[in-house]
Amino acid sequence: MSTQATMTERLGDRLNPILVKEVRQALRGKYFRVLFWITLLVGTLIGLGVIAEAGSEPSIETGRVFFMTIFGVLSAAVHCFVPFSAFLSTSAEWDENTYDLLIISNLRPRQIVQGKLLSALIQALLYYSTFGPFLVFAFLLNGIDLGSVAVILAGSFALCIALTLSGVAASSLASNKILRVVIMALFGLGLMAVWGMSLGLAAAITFEPQVLRSIEGQVAFVVFLTAALVLALLANAVALARFAHEEENRSTPLRVIATVIVVFATLWGTWLVAEFGAGEAMMGCQAAAVLLSFLPWLLLSTEPEELPRRTSASAPRSRVLALLQAAYIPGGGRGALLCFLLGALAVSGSLLGMRFASGSLPIALDVTVAVAAMYAYLLVFSTLAGGIGAYFVRRASARLVLRIAVVVAVPVLIIVPSLMAIFLDSNDGSDAFSHGFNPFYVVYALGQGERPTLALVGLALAVALSLVVNAPRVYSGLCEILAASRTVRTKGTDAPAA
Amino acid sequence: MTTALDVCAITKRFGALKAVDEVSFRVSRGEIMGFIGPNGAGKTTTMRICSTLELPDTGDVQVDGVSVTENPREARRRIGFMPDSYGAYANTSIDDYLDFFARAYGLRGAARTAVIERSIEFTSLGDLREKYIDSLSKGMKQRLCLAKTLLHDPAVMILDEPAAGLDPRARVELRELVKALAGMGKAILLSSHILSELAEMCTTITVIERGQVRGSGAVETVAQGVTSGQRIFVRALAGVDALQRRLLELPQVSKVHAEREGLAFDFLGDERALSELLANLAASGLGLIEFAPKAVDLEDVFLSLTEGKLQ
Ligand SMILES: Nc1ncnc2c1ncn2[C@@H]1O[C@H](COP(=O)(O)OP(=O)(O)OP(=O)(O)O)[C@@H](O)[C@H]1O
Ligand SMILES: [Mg+2]
Repeated sequence: MSTQATMTERLGDRLNPILVKEVRQALRGKYFRVLFWITLLVGTLIGLGVIAEAGSEPSIETGRVFFMTIFGVLSAAVHCFVPFSAFLSTSAEWDENTYDLLIISNLRPRQIVQGKLLSALIQALLYYSTFGPFLVFAFLLNGIDLGSVAVILAGSFALCIALTLSGVAASSLASNKILRVVIMALFGLGLMAVWGMSLGLAAAITFEPQVLRSIEGQVAFVVFLTAALVLALLANAVALARFAHEEENRSTPLRVIATVIVVFATLWGTWLVAEFGAGEAMMGCQAAAVLLSFLPWLLLSTEPEELPRRTSASAPRSRVLALLQAAYIPGGGRGALLCFLLGALAVSGSLLGMRFASGSLPIALDVTVAVAAMYAYLLVFSTLAGGIGAYFVRRASARLVLRIAVVVAVPVLIIVPSLMAIFLDSNDGSDAFSHGFNPFYVVYALGQGERPTLALVGLALAVALSLVVNAPRVYSGLCEILAASRTVRTKGTDAPAA
Repeated sequence: MTTALDVCAITKRFGALKAVDEVSFRVSRGEIMGFIGPNGAGKTTTMRICSTLELPDTGDVQVDGVSVTENPREARRRIGFMPDSYGAYANTSIDDYLDFFARAYGLRGAARTAVIERSIEFTSLGDLREKYIDSLSKGMKQRLCLAKTLLHDPAVMILDEPAAGLDPRARVELRELVKALAGMGKAILLSSHILSELAEMCTTITVIERGQVRGSGAVETVAQGVTSGQRIFVRALAGVDALQRRLLELPQVSKVHAEREGLAFDFLGDERALSELLANLAASGLGLIEFAPKAVDLEDVFLSLTEGKLQ
């Protein structure tokens, strides 16, 4: 008995402190308990309703509807409540000013993010274990096979992890309270949308179980898992960066993730094209990568230019190594450099991949032009404003305004010309959204084999402009790295003499 | 005495504003240093730099020999920082709160329990351990934060306005706690706007204004630097204005300013000259009722070292 107690105590000692704290808070607080019982009650009532409706002869259909009902409630819990409570608990650290206390207690950003994630996952597991028996009951009703249940649960758990980390990352984005309320509203809306999406996917599997036996279905599932993984990694990197000390290197992990996204998309696209022979697969993968990359690229290219002191002290001693690593070292100019390199990598990778996978040069070229257009838009949106802003922006608040302005500018650029077209044009305005500021239209048109020449020329000019605007800061960013490497070198040679 | 906190020419800019400008001072073990200056002088910023929460643009701070810029994690083990504003976690008892931070410092098993007991005993929070933090009074919260700051037995303690918002009794208690900590050989840097409070416990002071140190050292030394010669307090029936007019006509008198119902001024001459001054005043028909040398207090030091310009 006593050895057991010490065993558990010793285990308890090793637990993440944040996890212990959050679980204690959750157990004492009302929020989780109330939500948990309400969820359980609603699930049970609806489930009973479905069975009562079916009467004495439950059919396969009853089992399926029953499963979907229960999953709907479970999904609301693990895809909305849990990530949202992770958002709230992270946001509380800013509101309560306890964040500084965490840092001076030597907690690492990694521990903070992991603690938040784990305590959210414990809540999620509680929901899973409560609703698990109901799902098995659906199986007993003959509605669904265990394989499908396993796939749906695995997918939903992966999504839960990704969303929870996104919640932590989203609330770490702004320490300003008003801004965080806005982010909270957006995040909440996003979660509802994801809830709807997860219901749709689960329904597709439930009502057509044979989907999972086809190669397309299996590939789609793996793509889904990959996307969840990438989202989780991205959110993790953003949260770590935001929690790290202002002067610490907060940016290298994000840069690595940005690279991983592009490489993943290119490899996946190539594999899918080789397997199924459809060029759209490459475009789809790259489009997903571009959407995921927008925020990280924007963050990277609008970073402060100067090398943080703690980072510069750890610059590589070798000049060549320093230059090679430059794009992965913090600083806005070096961020822009990374964006341009990644853009070039994606375009050339797509060309090579398509050439290798489809065997036809014309098709490869067509797809590559569309991919190039996507990345061109991404580059312009993420680096042009950052490049111009680098000449003016000094304060952290101005930097935040710049970033928000760019995020707002993108939909405005799409919508305003469309509205003008609707009001000014004499015809019915059905092609109002077909203009060069709308990346979705241009990429779609390219995919259809059209050539919107004016838009493409404008786009090429915009890319050239952003190259010109960014060139000076990329150059000074490289010089700064070389200087830091020189300082490290001279310090290193002084040391033995001293 | 060994130096435990060595602040060496630190500078910190926020945009165009130099919040801290080449600030240097030292605090030894067992020393309580008062850190005073007007609002926005840069006290909190300096303290945050010493606690690794902010990085100086130039300069460095050594905490017990460890640099805060080069080795922040080691420095944090040696420093206890009590910020001026901090929040309380919801649904958390005093015990849980201390347990959480002790875990964060990597304390395990019996060592953790012992450390928590020691902190609770030192701050006399024993009867409240099960209470939730949100229900504590300001004074109790302040004690709890002090208990938290003590958990890892830091060599240097940095307290940012610990007495703000406390009632007189709580203030006296805090003072005793701080003195006890200094007695245990800790170096303490403490900011406050309540100067009488500081005078009671500090051995040394540093005065800062607009990011620059205006004076630093033992209270008497700094005070001597402030006054030229000795400071005298006078009061007369004729009233302040007449007295002031007369005083300003006399030689070796400077820095005449109002104080209570009379005037205080610095006198540069020797004892003989002072006795002539007294005779002169008595003979001038102003109705002298009080004439006494006056010890310089912290308030005088503060007022003469700072110009009152807000940053
Ligand atoms: N994060 C920040 N960003 C911009 N300016 C800041 C920041 N922190 C402090 N300042 C500015 O630096 C100056 C010094 O502030 P600090 O908080 O150190 O003063 P203080 O001496 O602690 O004042 P108080 O007595 O009011 O607490 C102020 O002008 C303040 O506005
Ligand atoms: Mg302050």
